[in-house]
Amino acid sequence: MTEVFARLDGIIRHFGHVKALDSANLEIHSGEIHGILGENGAGKTTLLNILGGIIHPDVGFVEVGGSRVRLQSARAAWKMGIGLVHQHFTLVPGLSVLENLALGRRHRGHRWKLHLKEIREEASQLSELTGLTVPFEASIEELGVGDRQRIEILKALLRDPQLLVLDEPTAVLAPAEIDQLFRLLRSLAEEGRAVVLVAHKLDEILSIADRVTVLRQGRTVMTAARTDVDTAILTDAMVGSSSADGDALATPDSLSALVQNSDGLAQNRELSNRSVARLKGITVYSPQGGLALQDVGLEVLRGEVLGVAGVEGNGQRELALVLSGRQEVASGKLEIPEHVGFIPQDRTREGLAADFDLTENVALALHRDPKFRLGPLLRWSLIELHATEIRSRFNIRSSAGETLARELSGGNQQRLVVGRELSQLPELLIAENPTRGLDFTATAFVREELKRLAHDTAAGVVLISTDLDEILEVADRVFVILRGKLTPVPSVHDSRETVGAMMLGSRLETH
Amino acid sequence: MRRFDQLAVAVLALLATGIIAAGSLWLGGYDPLVAGAAMFQGSFGSGTAIFSVTMVRAVPLIVTGLAVALAFRAGVWNIGAEGQLYAGAIAAAWVGLSWGNAPGWFLTSATLAAALLAGAAWAAIPAFMKVRLGIGEVIPTILMNFVGIYLAAFVVHGPLQETRGVFPQTDPISDAARLSVLVEGTRLHAGFLIALLLGVILWIGLRWTHFGFQARAVGVSPEAARISGMIESKRVLLVVFLSSGAIAGLAGGIEITGVTFALYEGLSPGWGYTAIAVALLAGLHPAWVVFTGLLFGGLEAGAGAMQREAGVPAAWVSAVEALVILFVLAGDQIRRRFGA
Repeated sequence: MTEVFARLDGIIRHFGHVKALDSANLEIHSGEIHGILGENGAGKTTLLNILGGIIHPDVGFVEVGGSRVRLQSARAAWKMGIGLVHQHFTLVPGLSVLENLALGRRHRGHRWKLHLKEIREEASQLSELTGLTVPFEASIEELGVGDRQRIEILKALLRDPQLLVLDEPTAVLAPAEIDQLFRLLRSLAEEGRAVVLVAHKLDEILSIADRVTVLRQGRTVMTAARTDVDTAILTDAMVGSSSADGDALATPDSLSALVQNSDGLAQNRELSNRSVARLKGITVYSPQGGLALQDVGLEVLRGEVLGVAGVEGNGQRELALVLSGRQEVASGKLEIPEHVGFIPQDRTREGLAADFDLTENVALALHRDPKFRLGPLLRWSLIELHATEIRSRFNIRSSAGETLARELSGGNQQRLVVGRELSQLPELLIAENPTRGLDFTATAFVREELKRLAHDTAAGVVLISTDLDEILEVADRVFVILRGKLTPVPSVHDSRETVGAMMLGSRLETH
Repeated sequence: MRRFDQLAVAVLALLATGIIAAGSLWLGGYDPLVAGAAMFQGSFGSGTAIFSVTMVRAVPLIVTGLAVALAFRAGVWNIGAEGQLYAGAIAAAWVGLSWGNAPGWFLTSATLAAALLAGAAWAAIPAFMKVRLGIGEVIPTILMNFVGIYLAAFVVHGPLQETRGVFPQTDPISDAARLSVLVEGTRLHAGFLIALLLGVILWIGLRWTHFGFQARAVGVSPEAARISGMIESKRVLLVVFLSSGAIAGLAGGIEITGVTFALYEGLSPGWGYTAIAVALLAGLHPAWVVFTGLLFGGLEAGAGAMQREAGVPAAWVSAVEALVILFVLAGDQIRRRFGA
């Protein structure tokens, strides 16, 4: 039996009127990897933030090493040996990677002086040891999400934590990188450290965790050894008995209802041009001056989901912006419809205005539609109606249209973005990691909706994702993006490993 | 609910300010009750105090407060209302002096239009620096204040100085250019109506119009506004910035045509800065700016009475105004972090 490192007991925490945690318990053992599962809004991130000293419980207590502690701040948590890797990145833009790693660290013996050299040595040793390679001199904004994730982990490890807490670290990584991360976590556990991990994918948790805790609606509903559970048991625990919790499942026919409202849209669109977007010789420079897209050609056909797989930072951001008409190109020919639906990957910053309410966020995308305008005025009552429709069709659980976007859980935020974009029935939709951070119910729902939009309304859908499984499941045609170049995958039935290797460039390099 | 929270912040900020203000008076050897009574008497204690002093003082505060609120709502940190006000005042004085023979309604409109244009022009420099060159607007707008203040000083010492050439001020503008008195026997002028009207226009504009929505979107989330693909942020920022400057300039024009009838050095005791407190206390809401403007107008009106009757230096009121800003900012953060 392993030793208990930390314990959370009877934690209750409110945010305004929302009960995020309602008597949650967690027992963390040294030398173990502890997986936490739960639907969106189940309270996973809140629980982790309590461990990290970011949020304080209203009721309940935290025990570390057998004695009760008050984790008043992130610093207090580090001092107790708890290192938290956030879901949303906390790196300071404008500082270099090294400077970010040095944040909040003092060198032994020198209270006031910043010793970048020593920190660099320490960091590069650790980086070699763990295989977390990062460019130390680069500035944060030059880096993709994958790099940032590695820096976050390295930053936490530099403090030599006894407990490493990771909130959805796999969401932005390629399969090979996930394997590498899991090997690292395993070796940390073998050193006797404790690891707590949140991931949305059940199979990831099953493959790595020694112990699993399931949260539902803020409560701990189950804690068990990995060997005692399987997919079915965990799914049941997460969703609850299906009859009692029926609204957890998305309404299945949200889009088809919309389609019925627009009779014959698919047929009309079929008759017109087969292709809905064309790129020819597109070149785009990144803000830092490097080549982000290199002479890219692409044709998106009506009625298809076109998947673009790739590891973060290979130009997919720019591809998404170009295809959706949000970025100018340096050279090349671009033909896209006037209005392109866009589901950007960073929903809290780009998809939604956090301080706008639901209705205003819906208005963000459709306030130029003449239907919703009356001279200089906006027809707010109509927009509100539309927003209500989106809320019920896409099952966004919130009390009212006046709820601010930042008060929604991550999953509901994503539903709002997806719902808003889909409900406009765009001819072309660009979706950038649309299921990042979603639980499996919501994930399945979003994927189904993307397929429907393409197949039922003859729209073109471009799915850009770092999640290879998602691409292979949803896309009709697949491209791999690597260093700003697109390569078609000959057949969707190509094995996962082949495409995965292409994403990392190994196939190209062996040629 | 949210509106209520903002109201709570404002009320608590005022309470906290009141407590500290009273405490500081007591420490300074004054009787807070006597001082408070004098202040109330001087601001809201009589019809004359209300109509001839408080409301008159409130006009430039409301108008510049609206200018600041509009800008801040769109994320334009225009700290330059003071300079824009002076630019408007200079232009108004010039038109009021040199077109003296035109008919009244035309001259008044032309004078105020000149003030609007001059304010916008004054804001145009930092606005273009922001939109074209990506230079943050805070420092440029602050610096443009000094240019505006000293430009006015130069003008009244030089080209527009009164014909007698004694005082640093202009000749009085022609009677035709002056705003009419609103309540017979008081100093309350039509500028107050303009301020109210402007408050209503901005309220409706921000809340219900297409452009107002775009401005608010750019304010709450520049990223989401850009990615929505629906908003030309630069154009929105430019229009808001220039409008804010124009409104601040109008405040200067109203002061010339409604109260002083001449431009002189030190026309504004810092209205463009107090405007920030007025706007913040109102939660940047145009309708509330009218009320907070009146409140601050009362504070400034009462300051004189307090100095006369309780011996408290009028400058103390400026410190109190600054306290309001600090408490509102702190209260806002606390509400965001812990609040419902």
